[in-house]
Amino acid sequence: MRVLVVEDDVDLARQLKECLAEAGYAVDLAADGEEGHYLGDTEPYDAIVLDLGLPVVDGISVLERWRAAGRQMPVLILTARDRWSEKVAGFDAGADDYVAKPFHMAEVLARLRALVRRAAGHASAELACGPVLLDTRSARVTVEGRPVKLTAQEYRLLAYLMHHQDKVVSRTELTEHLYDQDFDRDSNIIEVFVGRLRKKLGADVIQTVRGLGYRAQVQR
Amino acid sequence: MRRNSLAFHLIASAAVWCALVLSVAGWLLSTLVGDMVESNFDARLSVLLEGLVAGSEIGPDGQLEVRPQLGEPRFTQPLSGWYWQIGAPDHPLDRSSSLWDQTLPVPPAPGGRPWTGVATDQAAGPWTGPWTGDVAGPDGQSLRLLVRLITLPDRAAPLLFAIAGDRAEIAAQKRRFDRLLTLALAGLLLVLLAALLLQVRIGLAPLRRIEASLAAIRAGRARRLEGRLPAELEPLALELNALLDHGEALVERARTHVGNLAHGLKTPLAVLHNEAERTEGALAVLVARQVEQMRRLVDHYLARARAVATGSVLGARTEVLPVLRDLARTLERIHIDRHDDGALAIELACPPGLAFRGARQDLEEMLGNLLDNACKWAAHRVSVEAARDAARLLVTIDDDGPGLPAERRAEVLERGRRLDEQVPGSGLGLAIVADIALLYAGRLALEAAPSGGLRVRLDLPAALGT
Repeated sequence: MRVLVVEDDVDLARQLKECLAEAGYAVDLAADGEEGHYLGDTEPYDAIVLDLGLPVVDGISVLERWRAAGRQMPVLILTARDRWSEKVAGFDAGADDYVAKPFHMAEVLARLRALVRRAAGHASAELACGPVLLDTRSARVTVEGRPVKLTAQEYRLLAYLMHHQDKVVSRTELTEHLYDQDFDRDSNIIEVFVGRLRKKLGADVIQTVRGLGYRAQVQR
Repeated sequence: MRRNSLAFHLIASAAVWCALVLSVAGWLLSTLVGDMVESNFDARLSVLLEGLVAGSEIGPDGQLEVRPQLGEPRFTQPLSGWYWQIGAPDHPLDRSSSLWDQTLPVPPAPGGRPWTGVATDQAAGPWTGPWTGDVAGPDGQSLRLLVRLITLPDRAAPLLFAIAGDRAEIAAQKRRFDRLLTLALAGLLLVLLAALLLQVRIGLAPLRRIEASLAAIRAGRARRLEGRLPAELEPLALELNALLDHGEALVERARTHVGNLAHGLKTPLAVLHNEAERTEGALAVLVARQVEQMRRLVDHYLARARAVATGSVLGARTEVLPVLRDLARTLERIHIDRHDDGALAIELACPPGLAFRGARQDLEEMLGNLLDNACKWAAHRVSVEAARDAARLLVTIDDDGPGLPAERRAEVLERGRRLDEQVPGSGLGLAIVADIALLYAGRLALEAAPSGGLRVRLDLPAALGT
């Protein structure tokens, strides 16, 4: 899952990036509204954390521009301005949820998880694909009730595929959503991780669709 | 009319001046008319005297014969006050029958000469009159006396003709006139005062209009002084409106500064909090605790400062329905997936046009916190009902959640108290609502809802009119 954090406070941005990375997200940072808008407009993010009080262009305007351009990724607003008029304005501009500063990181993570899940069309926090069960809250994976140990990279790949079950996901899409913008897109690291996941979970969960990409689907 | 009112001062000072001017005019008129009455009386006496002279002649026997045609019956009524007398004062040759056996007390001629008609003092020559004066009559009356020396044909020596009329007639005429004059002037004074009162009322009407406009602004029916005013008051209205603008601008600026302060403080607090959370040790625990304390204080006092800033703004008016709709739309999205078993419905019952006498942001803050609270606890349904009762706006918010025992309802209104840590929220929400409501002389009450959940009743001032 790739997330954009638009926050002008350097320390807070660093903390968010560290925290989100620990939770398995690939994180890009933008320090002002202009840069944030550009990244959100051009890169395929799974969710965006947007501060409202931004230099150059304010958060509400950035959000309105994305929505006007048809960008539908879930946006979590971070704001010190927690008056109801500001919340109403935020939601009316197209926000999906908000967290008021100062906040607990755990709350940001929980909200973000829920947003990503809802955007992919899942009602429950647990995603199932055949015998494989993935709990987005605890980041734990079980196969037929038996816990499986996954590295962060492996978990991210599996989580993305399971969020988009029954859909063919191309290698490019996976790279775009699992790694931040500095990642070397030409490497064949995705294939390596898919191989390892198949070993750990059992080969029949992740299928290769030749020439197109991968798909998480229950074998019939 | 109050003693210290402008109208009272205007009318009182004008009344004093009117009374003074009318008194002087009355005195002048009375004096003039009095003089005129006296001279008229004298002229009449003179005519009567001429009638007496014309009716007197010396008979063939050398005796004086008097057949006066005076047309005044009172000369024949005894002691009537109207008398005539011919001849020397002490031995008159003839006199009116009204004199009976009395004589007219004719004073000595000017210069102390006797009324003989014969010049005793050759140097001074004979005195011929006429002379007019006041004397005391036989019956104690005050008389007006006219004396002339007339030389009748066939008689060498002049005769002293004296005629007198009762001064009571003059006094009566004067009294009658004075009475009429007093009545007329008093009537005039009343008419003047009435006209004055009318003029003051008309003249001060614009002040009354300003008073009414200001009351309307205070009541939230108007935002500025409006309507046409006379040129003298136009600057006052402009200044008052400028003052209202200035007040609003000040509040707006204060609000902006407060917002900036909030933003400025909360980000560093978030950074400190997060850093402390990710670090081990006593310092981290201390920082986390203090940051939490600071966050609560910032929240509480910012909310209070914002509310204080708006409570004093004149003429604020906020329609309730749009605010409820905005909040309901937002809250349904906020709570979209915190209710696993089905969606949350917020039902609104609010007549259009119903308005709160206060700032929009304060109403939003109060209703937002209350609705948010209801949404957190509700199972499926939150219903809001707003209505007007005379000058009050009554909002009732019911949820179908677990409710709150009666003995704990007072507790939750206390500052910073959180009844249940399971549901996110600073716990300040209800306390802030109660604070803002208090600033507007409103009231927040918690009760049991018929569905078993919590019912919150908010009583606020309503804005009247449209």
